[in-house]
Amino acid sequence: MENFFFYFFAALTLIFAFLVIANPFSNNPVTSAMFLVLTIASLAGLFVLLHAYFLAAVQVLVYAGAVMVLFLFVIMLLDLKAEEERHIRAFGLGAGLISVGAIVSIFLISLLKAPLLSNPAPIVHGDTLALGKLLFNQYSLPFEIVSVLLLVAMIGVVLLSKKELK
Amino acid sequence: MTIGLNHYLVVSIMLFCVGLFGVIVRRNLLVIYMGLELMLNAANLALVAFSRFNDNLDGQVFVFFIITVAAAEVAVGLALIVALYRKRQTVHAEDLTTLRL
Amino acid sequence: MSYLSILNLAAPETIMVMTALAVLAADLLFMRELERGTRQLIGAMIGCAGCLAAVAWMLVLPLPEPGSLMQGLFLVDPLIRIVKVALLALTIFTVLISMEADFTQHIGEYFALILFAAIGMMFLVSTEDILMIFISLELTSLSLYILTAFNKRNIKSAEAALKYFLFGGMAAAFTLFGLSLLYGISGSTNLAEIAKAVSGKSVNGLDPLLIAAIVLTVIGFGFKVAAVPFHLWAPDAYEGAPIPSAAFIASGSKVASFFVFAKVMMIGFKGAEGSGSLQAWMPGWVPTLAVVAAASMVLGNLAAIAQSSVRRLLAYSAIAHAGYVLLAVMAVPSPLAPHTSPLGPLVYYVITYGLTTLGAFAVVSNVQQRTGGDRLSDFAGLARRAPLLSFCMLIFMLSLAGIPPLAGFFGKFYVFTAALSSGGKSLGLLWLVILAVAMSAVSLYYYLLVLKQIYIMPSTDQDTPRPLSIGSQAIVFALAALVLILGCAPGLILEPVMSAIKVAGL
Repeated sequence: MENFFFYFFAALTLIFAFLVIANPFSNNPVTSAMFLVLTIASLAGLFVLLHAYFLAAVQVLVYAGAVMVLFLFVIMLLDLKAEEERHIRAFGLGAGLISVGAIVSIFLISLLKAPLLSNPAPIVHGDTLALGKLLFNQYSLPFEIVSVLLLVAMIGVVLLSKKELK
Repeated sequence: MTIGLNHYLVVSIMLFCVGLFGVIVRRNLLVIYMGLELMLNAANLALVAFSRFNDNLDGQVFVFFIITVAAAEVAVGLALIVALYRKRQTVHAEDLTTLRL
Repeated sequence: MSYLSILNLAAPETIMVMTALAVLAADLLFMRELERGTRQLIGAMIGCAGCLAAVAWMLVLPLPEPGSLMQGLFLVDPLIRIVKVALLALTIFTVLISMEADFTQHIGEYFALILFAAIGMMFLVSTEDILMIFISLELTSLSLYILTAFNKRNIKSAEAALKYFLFGGMAAAFTLFGLSLLYGISGSTNLAEIAKAVSGKSVNGLDPLLIAAIVLTVIGFGFKVAAVPFHLWAPDAYEGAPIPSAAFIASGSKVASFFVFAKVMMIGFKGAEGSGSLQAWMPGWVPTLAVVAAASMVLGNLAAIAQSSVRRLLAYSAIAHAGYVLLAVMAVPSPLAPHTSPLGPLVYYVITYGLTTLGAFAVVSNVQQRTGGDRLSDFAGLARRAPLLSFCMLIFMLSLAGIPPLAGFFGKFYVFTAALSSGGKSLGLLWLVILAVAMSAVSLYYYLLVLKQIYIMPSTDQDTPRPLSIGSQAIVFALAALVLILGCAPGLILEPVMSAIKVAGL
């Protein structure tokens, strides 16, 4: 059963991810954004299979919720009708295929050589309680730094998207 | 055959490469950002898988921070696009020609 | 881990955060109605006071027990302390340079973001944990992206920021994937723990996953330090960003990135060095870096010759210097001479390089304010208009080229010596050092091109130029004096660094 779900979610993730960047039917960024939501949701499925329940929820809430709304909002704001006619250049396609192919082959060769690590490890449960304990004890310093980072992002976004008076 | 770490790693690497492919090939800045998000998510999947098979939760905490940082980064990146669009009316990488490469 | 002990150990960073918030609050709450000059003066005063307070905290108060907090999440030791003081000095100079800036009305935000970037760099250098490295790298980068886009009247600024952001995002993704593989190999986020797993794995040939981790990490940090072939963002960011932002990207960010790059490689990948010597090429991170360093030195120096904008010239020269610094990263102490840590030359090199390039940017800022551009022709006849400024530029350029007795010469000398002695008797990195010396000779040509414009070409503008402000000249002069003093007495940095390295046991 677990095997079935793994293959199901993995296939969905990869298919949707491919449709995000190369949809044969539409070049519209809105469709890309919608497929990105689906990719994120299927990834959350994989997270559940890995017993990372809290992260699966955060993934759906933050990514599929907040981040994607931001993407859609900007796409709508920019009104990109004239952009749809552009096509992908053959040169870019070739260069992309070659470089990605090189990286894929390096990775896959290294993975195939690597010993199979399917040891049935004792299961850790990534539930809210366990992660919260780690977050507020061992990792309290990075947690505080992230608060500074969010402040920086907030200042920056307000500044950059505000119209210059005058 | 049981599903092991390698299966998840293969998915993660393929996801990373799909994202990278998008970043290199697509010219629409918004779609390039989505490619970047896919790459980050590939790293997330690898970390969660490693966390499960290494039997500790550090990797999951790492992913939690990555999701937060990625959200902040997307916000700043989209603000940059909006700022550029106000000036140039474009979201295409090919139109970034004021500076020579 | 209680918050009190965090506050105790990370007090300088805490002071900086409070300073940044104070600058922001003071400007937004009380100074909206004041003139820009006054706001800039008050903002810079608060910022400098905060930096000085942090420096004083580190220098005056006795060092707390050198030790780590939370398994290497946050470290306090003398070496890190020296690097932090240097970072704060660079921050102070950047704040002072931006006092003259006239590109924005949002002064409080600008100073606050410079300070936030500095906070990110301070955390970056004081950790040996990949989670903290990632977060502080992102804090620094996000602040720098925004600083780059700060000039909203100039289209170049927005474009440069976007390019910087896209390349930075790629770098973050690559670094992250590399770091996640490291976590997978070792099951820990701590560099020392990772090293244990790495050296265990590389007993009989390198583990395939480890090779992927090395390549991805080098790609990610290569973007950060602008090494070829990951350098494409640098010339644009240097040219398009407001000058103080560009100066900070070129100085502070470089110091922090190189320090942490070296630490990740030396500590995290200990045991997977391989060999970069031509006779005994062995896979590992040293040969990977050797290729990147060679490409950076050649391409950076050759491309710099063709530039007509001084800021792009500085960018390509920064790429070339990244190649030289990577030599120090590769100079792993050999079993024959274990006491010569390459971190000493590296720290000396990046600190003096940061000061020099900051000074060069300060001169460019002065020239641009008067002539409106930063092309080589805008510097024509500068010697007659501003002799002091020109003399300072002479010092900076010759120091970048590596002419004795300036700081740049000793930086190169120590780095090259460290690289030579690393291989023991076999002189492993000799070919790279020879290449570096040859390329330094090439670099002298384009630095002299700038000086030729300043000292030999006749001035093009006829009207009497605006007088320079005393303040900005004083900053340039102070930086030039520092470069001269640190060149004549390199021990001022090198001796404390070396003794600090002994204490840290690196």
